[in-house]
Amino acid sequence: MLLVKARKTLPHIVLMIYVAAVLVPFVFVVFSSLKDNNIDIAENPFGFPTELVFQNYIDAWVSAKISTYFFNSAYLSLTSGIAGVILSAATAFALTRMKLLRTSKVIYQAVLIGMLIPSNVLFIAQYILVSDLGLLNTHWSLFLPYTAGALPISVLLIAAFMKAIPAELEEAAIVDGLGSIGLFFRIIMPVTVPALVTVFIVNFLGVWNEYLLSNFFISKDALRTLPTGMVGFRDAYQTNYAYICTGIVFSVLPVLILYAFLQDKIIEGITAGSVKG
Amino acid sequence: MRSALRNPYVYALFVIPTIGLYFLFTIYPMLSSAYYAFTDWDGLNDPKYIGFHNFTTALQDPYFQNSIVNNMYFILFSVFVQVPLIIMFAILIGSVKRLQGFYKTTVFVPSILSTAVIGILWQFIYNPEVGIVNKFLGLFGIDTIYWLADMRYALWAILITNAWQWMGFYIVLVLAAILAIPRELNEAAEIDGAGGFQRAIRITVPLIKPIISVIVMLSIAGAMRVVDIVLVMTKGGPVSSTEVMASYMVNRAIRYGEYGYGTSLAMLIFVIALVLTALYQLTFGRTKEEVTY
Amino acid sequence: MIKGLKMLLVLTLGFTLVLAGCSGTGSKSDPKPSNGESTNNGGKETPGTDKVEPFTVSLRHIQIGDAQKFRKALLNDVVKKTEDEIKGLKFELDAVEDQVNRYTKLPAEMAAGNPPVIFDLFGGMGDAQKYAKAGRLLELTPILEELGIKDKFLNLGQFMVGDKIYGLPIGGNNEGIFYNKKLFAEHGIAAPTTLEELEAAAAKLKEAGVTPFAMGSQAGWIPNMLVNTLIGRYAGPDLVERVSDGSLKFNSPDIVAAYSKYEEWVKAGYFTKGELGLSYDQMLNEFLNSKAGMMFDGSWRSSAFKNEELAKNITSEDVAYIPFPAVPGGKGDQTYVNGNYGNGYGFSATLDDNELKAVKAFIKNMYNDEMQLRGLLEDGVLPAMKLSADAMGKVEDPVVKQVLDVAAASGGAFSHFEISIPSKVYTETEIQLQAIIAGQATAQQAGDAIQKILDAEAGK
Repeated sequence: MLLVKARKTLPHIVLMIYVAAVLVPFVFVVFSSLKDNNIDIAENPFGFPTELVFQNYIDAWVSAKISTYFFNSAYLSLTSGIAGVILSAATAFALTRMKLLRTSKVIYQAVLIGMLIPSNVLFIAQYILVSDLGLLNTHWSLFLPYTAGALPISVLLIAAFMKAIPAELEEAAIVDGLGSIGLFFRIIMPVTVPALVTVFIVNFLGVWNEYLLSNFFISKDALRTLPTGMVGFRDAYQTNYAYICTGIVFSVLPVLILYAFLQDKIIEGITAGSVKG
Repeated sequence: MRSALRNPYVYALFVIPTIGLYFLFTIYPMLSSAYYAFTDWDGLNDPKYIGFHNFTTALQDPYFQNSIVNNMYFILFSVFVQVPLIIMFAILIGSVKRLQGFYKTTVFVPSILSTAVIGILWQFIYNPEVGIVNKFLGLFGIDTIYWLADMRYALWAILITNAWQWMGFYIVLVLAAILAIPRELNEAAEIDGAGGFQRAIRITVPLIKPIISVIVMLSIAGAMRVVDIVLVMTKGGPVSSTEVMASYMVNRAIRYGEYGYGTSLAMLIFVIALVLTALYQLTFGRTKEEVTY
Repeated sequence: MIKGLKMLLVLTLGFTLVLAGCSGTGSKSDPKPSNGESTNNGGKETPGTDKVEPFTVSLRHIQIGDAQKFRKALLNDVVKKTEDEIKGLKFELDAVEDQVNRYTKLPAEMAAGNPPVIFDLFGGMGDAQKYAKAGRLLELTPILEELGIKDKFLNLGQFMVGDKIYGLPIGGNNEGIFYNKKLFAEHGIAAPTTLEELEAAAAKLKEAGVTPFAMGSQAGWIPNMLVNTLIGRYAGPDLVERVSDGSLKFNSPDIVAAYSKYEEWVKAGYFTKGELGLSYDQMLNEFLNSKAGMMFDGSWRSSAFKNEELAKNITSEDVAYIPFPAVPGGKGDQTYVNGNYGNGYGFSATLDDNELKAVKAFIKNMYNDEMQLRGLLEDGVLPAMKLSADAMGKVEDPVVKQVLDVAAASGGAFSHFEISIPSKVYTETEIQLQAIIAGQATAQQAGDAIQKILDAEAGK
């Protein structure tokens, strides 16, 4: 009996250690962000702050322009996510449901090639490109490569989903006199919603977290996104640990809240996004 | 009757924006890279064609070689350290009934966060004076370790951070495959008297081989892509000990203004990634064909 | 092919424009009225009927964080004054960390040809002169003549190509040793005047568990400051000229001697532990918290000691500033200091009329006796322009006074060697110095490696 009990609790013990390893850094950061100065952090790193210093939050919010970074990240992620979904859904529809089969096959293969190219490899050439287009230091320089970069996987995911839609559905619709555009928006899109949500989440988070391009394509403070803004913030306040921790909390919290509500969707979306590709 | 679905104009309308963007920001940069890679170009003056000079330089460049080696460390660490741990944790989570959802949700958290922010967070954790890693080790009488400043530890510190960020993601992937295994198989084995460990090795692992193959593949791809975390945590230092191919490429192009040389490095990175992928597919990755979902 | 590409481009852009149009970059288009309405600007006439087109001018500066707050305040005043003078002008300030600006942002922007209108700029071959030769910098000679301040500058050499001026240093500085008087007294150490005494002081501090020299070597330029002065001692004060004409090689015994001294101190444990992971701010922090007895740094740091946000442990009264002592066997005048007029502002070569107007007003308001004096008094930065003895006499800050004393007692100044070598070679000096610190290279190996790159670059 004892053995059975041990066998049942052992996995929990191991898993709890792992969970602790995941969560302790966050706890440490939150505690530190509420402490007055570095000495408090150094002397009592694991301890709950003796008095809560919320002033850090107010100061950091004001001096780091976190609201600006936050807004920039949010609207870039949203627009790029939505644009990616619409563009790739339209393309996936054309490729899978429309009857220009030979063209579709060629395009499909071309898109597949794109999956092979690691995004880093294109960095310099994209930099030169956006600079030639005069887009450096505008959000276009991020929006366009972000959206473009997400297209291949999005098209593949949505196309796989659309292929499975029974032909009867659209035949009925065409009999009812719908054109292909109407068919796409009224019949196919609604049925495809689960795949669209998946694609949207993948793209949204991808943009939200992107660092490389946004670090080098944007130099105006007012246009920075959260990841680059936070790195700049760290560079400016390297010796004020409480401050830096406050910044980390600000940038992590919104994602965690979103995750709390949409965890299943997010997990499903991100994992599907990686495997099927 | 189906003429609506043959309308070439609608087809064009649906396809061209995607193809246009895709062409402009993926294919065209690829082609222009192939051009710039053969030039000497500082961005200020006109590019000068210099044949294979950049490539021969790159192959002899000790800093680039060093960065390739570091990328290989990323690959080895993820394949031989992370993957076994991932499988173990996934099996453990799959084996428990209580708290299964909690474990799954929690371990996944780091993979939705920005690598840049994680880099800042872990820099603080590794801080020699106030960071919890040293405070914790200090409890056992271990002297201050300068994690990110010491050439002996810096790469390890980043590898661990990288593992912390991505393991949960892979665990969830493997877990999904484990939960898809028909329960009867396990139950039958249990009746036959197989212990938990035996069941894991004899039944679970063989059944999830396809997904293991996939996560190895993804780990390799991820290790080739790694750059943000290095730029944020160490900028490749100390003394290039954490430099990876992509960070070196970015450095050469942006900081040194060597756009021609930088793109030749990009081309080499691409080739190395392709070769690795092909090698893996031809050797260990064969099982992928068995993927049935 | 080209035509097709353009077509595609237009199509894509058009499409995405429609898509993202709703999201908009709306925040850009509403220029806020300058909040300086209340300031009375003398007898300036403002005809109400005259409609002025609002315009913005981008200004990149590096005054971020607590340590730069005095300098930022000066900049703010200049910005405000200039905005008040030019109708419709609104500066768009963009704060970027020094190294990021110098080594990442500006090079990239210069390559792309789209730098900000006004930006922080370093002088020398790897920075101002390189960009000037590529036609990216605004030539300032006519503007300075128009404003009548061309001859007021003490030294514009690092910003000149031929007899044309392309940038303006904001101030001058020299480099030396700051030490903590309290700690020195505590351990019975007198002010070192020779290398022997300096090393004895370091040994004593080390023995007492105090870091002798605060050091942050994550960025290579910081330890490079000390190396530069060591080279000035061992190879002589004409090092920059000789590196530049090739007569002084990095693997020559003189320069290797400088690297060897540094290596010796590293091995003796005279620098902060884990220095390769520490930044410039963290180095200062260590000194301010009395964890380190000394710090080799530029005189611009003097304002940090009176900054209450930073210095909680010591005040300006507790800090002494001395030149690096003579070294045995050193060449040339051993009283020279490393002095530079190397950092200031540059301006984009492509400006429209409005921007040019703004630039002129900015130069007028930034580079004048009043601002230069304020820079000296409030920020401890030596003036870049000639000030009257009377004005200079107003200095009260104890550290700044010592900085001026050091300058007065020196036989002259030499510059950073970085101004005379291509940036790629300079980067190699940083990498090799870090390799010495990490114990990965000896002084001789480092010198050889740097010279190799220098030869390769010179051969191009």
